[in-house]
Amino acid sequence: MKLQKLLNYLDTLNFELKTKFLIFIISAGMFTIMMLSLISTFSIKYDFDKLFEKRTSLFVKLEDIKDAYKVNIQDTLIEIENKSITFNESKEVLILGEQLIYENWTEYKKVTIDKEIPLFYVSDFIKKFLSKNVGYRKDQILKTNIIQNIDKKMALINNILTNIKHSQNKENFSQLYLEINAINIYITSLINYDLSLAINEKRDTQNVFNIIIIISVISIILVFLFSIILSILLINNFKALHNDLELNVQKKTKELKELNRSLEKRILQVVKNNRKKDIIMFQQARFASLGEMLNNIAHQWRQPLGSISMIVQSFQTKNSLGKLTDKYIEEKTEDALLLAHNMSNTLDDFKNFFSPDKTKEEFYIIDCIKHAFELSKYILEKENIQFKIEYSKDIKTHNFYNELSHVFLNLITNSKDALSTNVANNDKIIKVIVREYKGYIHINFIDNGGGIPLGIAPKIFEPYYTTKYKSAGTGIGLYMSKQIVEKHMDGSIIQKNFQHKINKKETFECSLFTIKIPINNIKEIDAN
Amino acid sequence: MQTKNLDILNQFNILYLEDDEDLLRHTTDILEDFVNTIYSVKTSKEALNVLLNNKIDIIISDILLKDENGIDFLKLIQNEHHINIPTILTTAHTDTKYLLDAIKLKVENYIIKPIKIKELLDTLHDVLLPQVQKKELKRNENIIKTISHITDSKQVEIVKLIINNLDNNNIYEGSYTDIMNEVNISKPTLIKLFKELASKDILVKTQHKTYRFNEEALSTI
Repeated sequence: MKLQKLLNYLDTLNFELKTKFLIFIISAGMFTIMMLSLISTFSIKYDFDKLFEKRTSLFVKLEDIKDAYKVNIQDTLIEIENKSITFNESKEVLILGEQLIYENWTEYKKVTIDKEIPLFYVSDFIKKFLSKNVGYRKDQILKTNIIQNIDKKMALINNILTNIKHSQNKENFSQLYLEINAINIYITSLINYDLSLAINEKRDTQNVFNIIIIISVISIILVFLFSIILSILLINNFKALHNDLELNVQKKTKELKELNRSLEKRILQVVKNNRKKDIIMFQQARFASLGEMLNNIAHQWRQPLGSISMIVQSFQTKNSLGKLTDKYIEEKTEDALLLAHNMSNTLDDFKNFFSPDKTKEEFYIIDCIKHAFELSKYILEKENIQFKIEYSKDIKTHNFYNELSHVFLNLITNSKDALSTNVANNDKIIKVIVREYKGYIHINFIDNGGGIPLGIAPKIFEPYYTTKYKSAGTGIGLYMSKQIVEKHMDGSIIQKNFQHKINKKETFECSLFTIKIPINNIKEIDAN
Repeated sequence: MQTKNLDILNQFNILYLEDDEDLLRHTTDILEDFVNTIYSVKTSKEALNVLLNNKIDIIISDILLKDENGIDFLKLIQNEHHINIPTILTTAHTDTKYLLDAIKLKVENYIIKPIKIKELLDTLHDVLLPQVQKKELKRNENIIKTISHITDSKQVEIVKLIINNLDNNNIYEGSYTDIMNEVNISKPTLIKLFKELASKDILVKTQHKTYRFNEEALSTI
């Protein structure tokens, strides 16, 4: 249950914390394992050292003492008894033996009693904590007792030996043998004791080792488990995250696809609308120039119409006065027919101009320009505007005649508006200069109407931009001109203001439109 | 067709100013049948020249001339040369701007093109009729004056008095005494005159002191 709770708690942690926790656990676990393995290695090494230094060397010393008693003293005495050597000869050996015993014994005692090895290592601390101290103490007392006994016996042997050396009496020999045997037994028991101590210590080490191994294994298992659990949690987290993201992506993709679809539809719609708009604009521009042309036709028809109606009335009045002669009828009919013919021609001009004919044809550019001026003749005369067309040679071009003359007509109308408001009566001039350059026809259309104010110059080609009164302009003339020149003829149209001696006398502020179109237009346009 | 007596036009001289040559020629061809003389010109300069050298009774002018304006021409002759001749304007324009100017210049009529010849002739008649009538009136007066000089002037004076005092219904109210107070005449002469007029149904007595002047009787004499 608690584990479940813990797991649940862990699961509630956020991703970053989990990761940090995992790293912490793994590193802590690693650290613990490393420390433990270090400790065990060190304790093993320590045990070796101790066994060697403390135990083995001691055994050697004790054995030396035993040997000294047995070989140096007892054997010498036996040899004295057997009279193989003399007392004097044996003296030195005995003294050497005594010295050897003394040295070894002092050293042994020094090691066992004085030199208590400090609890330096952690293993010792653990060992001390784990091993049964009581039994160890008891043994310590036992050991002290044995050492005291050995001391006594040693003193006794020394006394006997001193006596023997002084008296050179062989009677004490047997007693000395006994004592030597006794001391050897004591030493042996001391060795045994030390051995058992070593075995104890070995057991302790084994215990410590076992515990450490267990702790290590447990910690390894714990670290492993924790790592696995956290990894699983993290993986789950990842999976959840991944799933979430995937779902999100799928959702977004779906939305995007839908958006795309609707966008496509909308684009189609907008394109369609734009085309419709363009068509409407073309029609509007057409209607606008149609209106203007109608005005022109009306004016051009008015005069001959007046004359014809006068002729008709003259028949009536002459007749009523009885003055209607054959000659008069002849004359006037001829006049009337001539007038009617001119009217018909005018009509044809305009009709051709507005025919929806969109095929390209071969024509001379100058004819097209002249035609546009011819159609605007009435307004130009009315406003007293002169026009000049300058060209070095007539250029034949393959292009849309009507569209081009629409463009010129539009420019003429604009110039007329500028000239009629800005310029004194006798100086109104429109000049057209036509040049051929690198496969292009350059048509420079100049009027001295003062130029286009800088503020509005960038906007003149925009649709529905007009400086005229609402009734006078639709604001699409130049826009349509640009569309026609750029889209239908692959050309360009730009406007500039400059100062120019337009009539070779005075300098005027002039506006210049430059139309550049290829001599042979290869572009096709659809019916709209 | 002719409800008006256009014969009166034949004593007048017309100046016709029109820049469209065809129209000028054709209209002149018609008008010259009706008027004494027609001076057809294409520019205001020629027109001014004609005006200064001839007796012109009426001007017909187009408003929109080549490089100039009929209105401006009228202003020029009225302000600088102090010539006030009745004018008829013809125009293809119906702009009120011209109309207002035309009214200020006391233009007689404003004819929209194409010109209907009847309208033009009628207008000419209407404009020129007062001049004819004025002339006639003057002539009649002269006749009466001449007659009064060669016959009994007293009787003419009394007839004048009676006719001048007629009311709207051609009724004269007054006694012999009233007339004698005005004109120095003897009563028998007066009675004789009244009787004479009554016998010819010219002045009929309807009531006491009330006489009716009978116009129809005059034409039957």
